[in-house]
Amino acid sequence: MFPASFEYHRVSSVKDALALLSQFGDEAKILAGGHSLLPMMKLRLAQPAHLVDIGAVHELAQIQEQGGRILIGGLATHHSVETSSIVKAKLPILAECAALIGDIQVRNRGTIGGSLAHADPAADYPAAALALEAEMTLENPGGKRKVKAADFFLDLLTTAVQAGEILTQVSFAALGAGTGGVYLKHRHPASGFATVGVAAVVTLKGTNFDKVRVGITGLGAKAFRASSVEKALAGKASDAIAAAASHAADGVDATSDTYASGEFRAELARVYTRRALEQAVARVKA
Amino acid sequence: MAEDNQADSSASFRVIGTRPIRHDGIDKVTGRAKYGADYSFPGMLHGKVLRSPHAHARIKSINTAKAASLPGVAAVITGADLPTIASRTENLGEGVVNSRYISLNVLARDKVLYDGHAIAAVAASNIHIADEALKLIEVDYEVLPSAMTVDAAMKPAAPIILEELRNKEEGPDKETNVANHIRFTRGELAEGFATADFVVEQAFTTAMVHQGYIEPHNAVGIYSNNGFATIYCSTQGTFAVRSLTSQVLQIPEGQIKVVPAEIGGGFGGKLGIYLEPLAVLLSKKTGRPVKMVMTRAEVLRATGPTSGSKIRCKMGATRDGKLVAAEIWMAYEAGAFPGSPVGAGAMTIIASYQIPNFVIDAYDVIVNRPKTAAYRAPGASNAAFASETVIDALAGLCRIDPIDFRIMNAVREGSAQSAGPPFKRIGYFETLEAIKNSAHNKSKLEGLFRGRGVASGFWFNAGLQSSAVVNLHVDGTASVMTGSVDIGGSRASMAIITAEVLGIDVTTVRPLVGDTDSIGHTDVTGGSRTTLASGQAVYEAAHDVLRQLKERAARLWEKKPDEIKFADGVFSSADEKISPLSVKQLCRQLAKTGGPVTGKATINARNAAPAFACTMVDVEVDPDTGKVRVLRCTIAQDAGRAIHPSYVEGQMQGGTAQGIGWALNEEYVYDRDGRLRNTGLLDYRMPTCLDLPLIETVIVEVPNPAHPLGIRGVGEVSIVPPPAAVANAIYNAIGVRMTELPMSPPRLLKAILKRRHAEAEMTNAAAD
Ligand SMILES: Cc1cc2nc3c(=O)[nH]c(=O)nc-3n(C[C@H](O)[C@H](O)[C@H](O)COP(=O)(O)OP(=O)(O)OC[C@H]3O[C@@H](n4cnc5c(N)ncnc54)[C@H](O)[C@@H]3O)c2cc1C
Repeated sequence: MFPASFEYHRVSSVKDALALLSQFGDEAKILAGGHSLLPMMKLRLAQPAHLVDIGAVHELAQIQEQGGRILIGGLATHHSVETSSIVKAKLPILAECAALIGDIQVRNRGTIGGSLAHADPAADYPAAALALEAEMTLENPGGKRKVKAADFFLDLLTTAVQAGEILTQVSFAALGAGTGGVYLKHRHPASGFATVGVAAVVTLKGTNFDKVRVGITGLGAKAFRASSVEKALAGKASDAIAAAASHAADGVDATSDTYASGEFRAELARVYTRRALEQAVARVKA
Repeated sequence: MAEDNQADSSASFRVIGTRPIRHDGIDKVTGRAKYGADYSFPGMLHGKVLRSPHAHARIKSINTAKAASLPGVAAVITGADLPTIASRTENLGEGVVNSRYISLNVLARDKVLYDGHAIAAVAASNIHIADEALKLIEVDYEVLPSAMTVDAAMKPAAPIILEELRNKEEGPDKETNVANHIRFTRGELAEGFATADFVVEQAFTTAMVHQGYIEPHNAVGIYSNNGFATIYCSTQGTFAVRSLTSQVLQIPEGQIKVVPAEIGGGFGGKLGIYLEPLAVLLSKKTGRPVKMVMTRAEVLRATGPTSGSKIRCKMGATRDGKLVAAEIWMAYEAGAFPGSPVGAGAMTIIASYQIPNFVIDAYDVIVNRPKTAAYRAPGASNAAFASETVIDALAGLCRIDPIDFRIMNAVREGSAQSAGPPFKRIGYFETLEAIKNSAHNKSKLEGLFRGRGVASGFWFNAGLQSSAVVNLHVDGTASVMTGSVDIGGSRASMAIITAEVLGIDVTTVRPLVGDTDSIGHTDVTGGSRTTLASGQAVYEAAHDVLRQLKERAARLWEKKPDEIKFADGVFSSADEKISPLSVKQLCRQLAKTGGPVTGKATINARNAAPAFACTMVDVEVDPDTGKVRVLRCTIAQDAGRAIHPSYVEGQMQGGTAQGIGWALNEEYVYDRDGRLRNTGLLDYRMPTCLDLPLIETVIVEVPNPAHPLGIRGVGEVSIVPPPAAVANAIYNAIGVRMTELPMSPPRLLKAILKRRHAEAEMTNAAAD
C-alpha cells in the first residue's frame, strides 16, 4: 500500500499546470482532492512519475452564475457545491447529489472536476451531469474546448479529457420554471458509492412531459442517459412513469460484484428511475 | 471454596455501580498506549507469510532458494521447520483446541486446506523486501477439488479434507469430513408433537462471518541464546499463547514469556495463535527480534471467522401457548480443522425454554475455509436465529404476544437445562419483563413497511482460573495486577472492586495487566469470565490486604485483630481513647508494624452463571429494494451485578451492533474456485455508526447467587438475539419470513419478489 515514487509539483495557475503537463506528457497526472488518485497509486493501478497539484489554483474553485448558467470550477469541492447558495437556489438537484457523496471528509477534499475526470462507474456526479446536460470546459496549451456531458463519458474510467488537458469548468443551465429534478441512490453499504444512482430532470407542459432526462450511474461500466425511458415518456402524463421506468436497464451490461448481482442492480435502476421521476414530477407541481 | 460464596444482594456499595473514567483511557485517546504493532527493538527484522492461493491442494514441492538469496532476507521457514506433534486437546474457555491442528494451521505441511493457509514465512530487513521474497518462493501445487459448504462436505462422495479424520459413529475405517456428531434428547418426540396444535418447521442458512476486530494480528518474537523466548503480542490470553506456542515449537512453557500489548479487539478471534510461533522460529534462525503484522486481507482470509451454518428447526406448541416439542438438526462449518462451536449451538438453541420433548442433532463439519475461532457466545447467534424465529412464528399462530409467549415458556430457577444440571437463580424472566416494560415497547410504531421484532439470547459464561495481586503503597494508594488482558474495560472493574473493599478512592488504584512471568496463571479474557473470575480474585486479594491491615492496626493499638472495626476506609476500635486511622494513615505505619502489605488470591472459578438478553428492534423495509433501516433498538440483559455500568452498556451495545451486522450485511463470499472475494473492509461490510440508531440498554441485575459480588459476566450474550430480532421485525413489517443470513438488500429483495410472484400466481389461479 505504498505508491511508486513520484515527483510532486504544486502550481498556482492553469497556465503553469498546462506547461508541466505538456513537458511530462503521459508521465504526469493532475492531482486535485486525491481521493481517487491516491488510492489508485497506493494499489499501483496508477504510477505517474509526476503529480501536478492544482489545489492552489483558487480561481478553479469558484462557483458563479452568469447569463442564466451556473458555472462551477473544476476544483470546487463536493462540500462547496452542497452548500453553495447559488447551487441550492438554481440547481437543488446538484446540491443534493453532492450531499450524498461519501462522508464529510470526502466531501471536503473531493472535487467535481476530479470526480468527472476520473469517471468511476459508481460515482454520483456523472448521473446528475448527464441529466442536467452539463457542458465541460477542457483547457489545453492550444486553448479551450467544450464537451457535452452526453459525449464526455466514454467507458470505464475513460472520458473525453485528453492527456495534457484540464477540466476547468462545468457549466449547467439553471432549472427553469416547470422543471424539477431529483437524484436518488442506493449507497454501497461500505464505500458509500452509488450501487445505482439515478438523476431525473423533467419539464412539464400542463400535465404532460415536455422534456425528460434520466442519467444513471453504477449500473454498468459508465454512466449513461436512459434514452429508452426518456422516449417512452415523450408527451405522456405521469401515469406512464412505471411502464417507462421498467426500461431503465435495457441494453446495459450490468455490473456484478460481491455485494450486488447485475440482476439486483438492474432492479435497483428500474425502482430508482421510477421513484426519481415521480419525485421530480411532484417537485414541479409543488 | 468459590461455590460457597453467597452474593450479598442487599449490599449497598460505595464504588461498585459508579462510572469512573477508565484508567487506561487517556493513554488510549492520546495515542500513547502501545498496541502490538507499536513494539520495536534494535536490530529487529520484519516477517511476512506466504499464503495459499488455492482452497485445497497438495504441496508437491516448495523451493525457497531464490527467496533466501534475495539481499536483505535473513531467513525463510516452511512447515518442514516445525516439529510434528500428536493430537492433544486443551480447553481455552471458549471451546477445545487441538495443538496438532494448530500446528498444521500455523504452517501447512503436505496439503493446503483453504485460501490463505500459511505455507512459508520470511524474515527480512524490511517488510517490502519480505514481500518481494514471498514472490520468489516457488510452490508446486496439485490442485484438489474442494468442499466449501457443509452440504458439499457431507455428501457421500465429498473430497476428503483431512485424511486422518475419523468420527466415532462412522468408525475407524471411514474417511470423513464430519468431525463430530452430538445428540441431546429429552422425552418422547412423537408424543410431544402429537399434543401440539401448531407446528412450525423451517430451514435456516447463515453465512460465515468475521469477528472484525480493528487491530490485525501481530507478534514480535525474540529468541535468546539461552533458549528462552519472549513474545510481545496482542492476545486475549498470554498464558494460552505461551502454552500453544510451547506445544507447536516444543519449547518448555517455562522458557517462554508472553508480554501482552494493548488489544484492539478480539471477540474470541485472539484466543489462539497464528504468527507467534513463526516470529519465534524466525528469531531463533536469525538471532534477531522478528516482528510480524498481518494485513487486513490476511486477517480475513486466515484468522477468525465464525461458522456459517445450516439449521433445520421444527417446534410444536399447544393452542394456549405451551411449547411441547422440538426437533433440531444443525451443521456448522468448522473451517479446515475440527472445532466449530456447534456443541454450544446445540446446548443453547432451546436452553431458554422449558420443552419436555426434544431431539437435537449437531454436526461439526470441516470445509475448505479458514479454521473458525470463537466469536462472542460462539455458536449461539446462529442457533438463536433459527429457534427464536420459529418461536416468533408459533407465538403468532397462537395469537399470543411474542414477549408473553416467551415469558410463559421461560426457564426459571430449578428448570432443567438441555444439557447439564438444573438452573440456579437466573434472570431470564426479569429480562423479558424489562423489555416488556421498556419505553421502547410502550412506544407506538407507525408508518408503512415498519415492523417491530423481539428475540432472546442465552449464554453460559465461563469461570476458569485467575490470579490477582494487590500491592499497597506507602501513600495509601494501591496497585492491582491480574493476568487478564483488558479488552472491555476490565482495568476499571478491577480498580473499582479494589477501591470498594479497601475503602479508598478509585482514582488512587492503579490497575495493571501482568505478563506471564509477573503474575500467576490466568486464563483467557473470554467467555465473559474476566469480571467474574479475575474480579473475584481481586476481591479476595483486596480482602487479604484488609485482613493484614487489621492485624497491623491491632499490633499498633495492642488489640486483637477481631477487635478492629473497618468501615468507609477507616480503622477503629471500641476503645474510645484510640483515635481512628484511615487506610492512608495506617499505610504510613507499615514499616513500623512489619513491612509492606501485599494481598494475593488465585481461584479456579466454578461459579459462572448464565446470562440472558432480550432485544427489541424496529425496522423499516424498502419493499422495492430490500433495504432495511434499523429505526430503534433496545436490549435488556442480566448482568448479575454491573460493576462499571458504562462498560456493561458498552458490551451490550457492541454485541448488538455486531449482531445487527451479522443480520444485515456481513458474509464471506467465495468464488467458484474457493477463493475469498471480499478480503477488505470495503467489501466485507461491517456496520458503522451511520447504520445504527443509538442502542438503548436496560441493565437487569439478578445477582449470581454463587458469586461474592453477584457478578455473572456480560461480554457475549448481547450478540445472540439481533439476527432473529431483525428477522422477526422484517416479518412484522412486510410479512416475509427470512431464513437466510445476511438479510442484505439483494437477498431480501429476492425473497420479496418470490413472495410477490407466488401471490400473483395464487390470484391468477383463483381467477382461472
Ligand atoms: C472513502 C471514499 C468514499 C467516496 N464515496 C464516494 C461517493 O459516495 N460518491 C462519489 O461519487 N464519489 C465518492 N468518492 C470519490 C470522491 O468523490 C473523489 O474525491 C472524486 O471522485 C475524485 O475527486 P478528487 O478531487 O479527489 O480527484 P483526484 O483523486 O485528485 O483525481 C482523480 C483523477 O482525475 C484527474 N483529475 C482531477 N482533477 C482534474 C481536472 N480538473 N482535470 C483533469 N483531470 C483531473 C486526476 O488526474 C486523476 O486521474 C469517495 C472517495 C473516498 C475516498
